[in-house]
Amino acid sequence: MKTDRKGSFTFPGGVHPSDKKNLTADSKIQYGFTGKESAIMLCQHIGAVCQPLVSKSDEVEEGQKIGENEAFVSAPVHCPIKGKVKGIELRPHAVLGRSEAIIIEGDSEERARRPSEGEDVFGSAFDESQYTSEQICQAIREAGIVGMGGAGFPTAVKIGINAKQPKEVLIVNGCECEPYITCDYRIMLEWTYKILAGVRLAQKVSGCSKVLIAIEDNKPEAIEAMSEAISKLSMDGKIGIAAVKTKYPQGGERQLIKSVLKRNVPTGGIPPMIGVLVLNVATTAAIAEAVVEGTALTHRVVTVTGEGIKEPSNYYAAIGTSVEELIDFSGGLTEEAVEVILGGPMMGISIADLSTPITKTTGAITVLTREQIGEAKFSGRQTACIRCGRCLLACPENLNPTKIAHAVKNNMLDLAKKYYISGCMECGACSYVCPANIELTGYIKTGKILIAKEKKTNAE
Amino acid sequence: MAARIRVSPSPHISEGLSTRKVMFDVIIGLVPAMIGAVYFFRHYAIILILTCVISSVVTELLCNLIRKVERPFESLGDLSAIVTGIILAFSVPPSLPIWAAVIGSVFAIAIGKMVFGGLGCNIFNPAMVGRAFLTASFGMLMTTWVVPATVDADMPTISASNVSVDARTQATPLAQSKEVQKKDIDKEIVNKQMGAMLFGEVGGCLGETSAVALLIGGIYLLIRKTITFHIPLAVLVSTSVFGGICYLINSDAYVSPLVHLSSGGLLLGAFFIATDPVTAPLTRRGMWVFGIGVGALVMLIRVVGEYPEGAMYSILLMNAVTPLIDRFCRKVPAGGKPNV
Repeated sequence: MKTDRKGSFTFPGGVHPSDKKNLTADSKIQYGFTGKESAIMLCQHIGAVCQPLVSKSDEVEEGQKIGENEAFVSAPVHCPIKGKVKGIELRPHAVLGRSEAIIIEGDSEERARRPSEGEDVFGSAFDESQYTSEQICQAIREAGIVGMGGAGFPTAVKIGINAKQPKEVLIVNGCECEPYITCDYRIMLEWTYKILAGVRLAQKVSGCSKVLIAIEDNKPEAIEAMSEAISKLSMDGKIGIAAVKTKYPQGGERQLIKSVLKRNVPTGGIPPMIGVLVLNVATTAAIAEAVVEGTALTHRVVTVTGEGIKEPSNYYAAIGTSVEELIDFSGGLTEEAVEVILGGPMMGISIADLSTPITKTTGAITVLTREQIGEAKFSGRQTACIRCGRCLLACPENLNPTKIAHAVKNNMLDLAKKYYISGCMECGACSYVCPANIELTGYIKTGKILIAKEKKTNAE
Repeated sequence: MAARIRVSPSPHISEGLSTRKVMFDVIIGLVPAMIGAVYFFRHYAIILILTCVISSVVTELLCNLIRKVERPFESLGDLSAIVTGIILAFSVPPSLPIWAAVIGSVFAIAIGKMVFGGLGCNIFNPAMVGRAFLTASFGMLMTTWVVPATVDADMPTISASNVSVDARTQATPLAQSKEVQKKDIDKEIVNKQMGAMLFGEVGGCLGETSAVALLIGGIYLLIRKTITFHIPLAVLVSTSVFGGICYLINSDAYVSPLVHLSSGGLLLGAFFIATDPVTAPLTRRGMWVFGIGVGALVMLIRVVGEYPEGAMYSILLMNAVTPLIDRFCRKVPAGGKPNV
C-alpha cells in the first residue's frame, strides 16, 4: 500500500508555530541514565490519588507497586529503581503546587533498565491472539498506564469494551504537534514494532474495527518507518496510516478526529461518545511492554530541549527523576536560559523549582531563551484589544476567546459560560496570535478555576 | 546556570505580531492611494495629509496628558492615530482649509476615540466621526471639489462653485449621477467617465478618487492577512446588487453599478474603514451582515437620499449596530452547544 506522505487531513483554525524539532530529531534515545533518587508522585493521572503501599526505610524492588487506589478511575504507581524508601514528602508539582511523593534512594550498583525495543519480541513473532481481552485490560491497569500525551487519563478505564458506546475506530496519535518535542517521533522510529504490537493489543481489547495511525507530515521518516513495518508484518489494510497536515493543535484528540474522520466530538464530551478511541503512540508502546513483558510504567522517553539547553537530546528516563538532574545530564542551562517548561512551549507549564520530578505525562523539558519568548511576551505588557478577531480564526474549537477573556477579567462568569468557556481545551492558539499580547488562555484557565470554585461553594 | 528563571502562563511563545505592526501594514496599504492623491492634487494633498496626521497625533498625546496616563507617549506607538489622520485626510475635499482639517482631526481623535477610553473602546470609526462633524459644520467646504491637476478645463462644472477657492472646481461623478436622476444631464456623461474614475482623474475627496490605487492597497492588506475578505466582499457585492437592481429597473435614471463601485468613498470604505477591527463585528457571519448592511445603506443614501455620497453615514450607522450584530452572530463551538 502506498502511503500518502503529504498530509491532506486537517481541521479548521489552528496556528503554525515554527516546529524547532531539528534540535533533537536526530538524537537517538539515550539509555542508561539514572538519577540519584526518584520522587514518585502519588498523583500523576486524572482520578483518585494513590495511597502509599510502602513506608519509610522499606526495601523496594524495581517495578514494585508502591501506591494504589481502589477507585475505578485511578492508576497505581511503581518504583523505577531498586532501593530504599527515604520517606513520603511534599515535592513541587507543576499543576498542584506541592504534592505528596514517595522518595526512593537507589542502590549505587543498580543498573538502569533497558527495555526490549526491536523486532525480535514485537515483530512477526508477536501474536496478540495468545492474550485474552481480560488479560490485556488487567495488565494495562496493573502497569499503571495513563495517557502519555499529556492528559494522563487512566488507559484501562477508557480502553475496554463498553456495551453502551461501542468503539469503531482506533486512532493512534503520533502527531506530536507541540513545537520542540521529539519523544514520540523517536519512539516511532526506534520502537516501531513495539508500537504496532501495542496497537494490535489495543484494537483487540477495544473491539475497534478500523485502526489509523495519524502522523503529521513534517515527520516523513516516521510515516515511512511505520508503513514499512506494517508491510513487513503484512498488516496492510488492517492498520492504516493517515498523514495529517502539520498544524498546531493537530494532536489534540478532538482536532485529530475532526481531521481524520471529519466528525465532531460533542462539546464537553469525550471521543467514545462517537465510537472513537484515541491513544498516544507512547501509550501503545507502554501497553505492549505491560502485556508482553509484564513491566510497569516506570520509565518514559523525555525530550530535553530548547535554546536554553547546552546539549538537547532524548532520554529514556525513570519517572520521578528531577528536572534538574535531566538538565545537568544535557550539559546544563545556557547563560541565556530564562524559562524552564514541563512540556512544550504551547501548552507546557513553566516551573519555578527545578527539583520538580517528572511524571508519567512529562514528554519534554523545554528551556527557552528571551529571544525565543520574544520581547513583547517577555515584558508581559498587554495593550488594548483591538478586536481584530485573530483569536477567533485561530481557535480550533470555534470559540470566541476575546469575549470569554473579557468576561473573566470583569468577573462576569455567567457571561463567560454563555460564550462556552467549558468548550476551551486551553491549546493556547489564541494567545499565540494576539497582537495585543493578551494572555487569553491564562484568563480562560482562571475563569474555569473560578467557575469550579463557585460550583463548590454553591454545592455546600 | 542562569541566575533567575521566570514563570508565566502558557503559551510561552507568540507569533510576534503587535498592534503597531498591524497598523503599519494599514499605512503601507494606504500608500498607493497617497501617491495617487499627491499626483492628482499636488500640494493640496501633502498639506492636508500632514495636517491631519500631525493634529491627530498631537490630540492623542494631549488627551493622554489630560487623563494623566502613566506613559502618555506609549499609545502613540501603536500608530493608530496616524492611520486615523491619513484616512480623515483621504475623505475630505482637497481644497479643505487647514484650520478645518485641524478641527476635524481634533474632533475625530478626542470625541471619536479618546472619550470612549482610547483604542479598542471606541464605538464609531474615529476618522468617520471627524468627517461627519466637518460635513455637518462646514457643508459648503466639504462639497467643493478641485479638479485634479492633470485634467484640462473642459469638464462640465455643475456643482455649487460659488465658493471662492483659488482653484478650478468641478462636480464629482456621484454629484453628477444625482443630476442624472433629476434628468438634468445625460447619464452617458457619467458612464463615460469610468476610465478616469478607475485611474482617479476625477473630482472627489483626496484619497477616494483612484479606484486602482485603493484596490492595490486593499489587495496588499488581504495578502498580509491584516484584513479578511469578508467585509470588503460583502460591501462590494451588496452595492453592485442593489446598484444593479436600480440600473435594471431604469437605466435612464440610474448610472451603471460600476460607477457606484468605483466612485466616492466606497472602495476606501470597503477596504480601509469598514474593516477597522475595533468597530466591525468579530465573527465571520457578523462581518457578512455588516458588509451587506453597509452596501445596502450606501445605495439607499445615494439613490433615495439627499446626499450624493453615503459611504461615511452607512459605515457609521453599521458601527452603531455592531454590538447587536456581535450578540446575534455568536459562534457555536465546533462540537455543538454543550448540555449545561
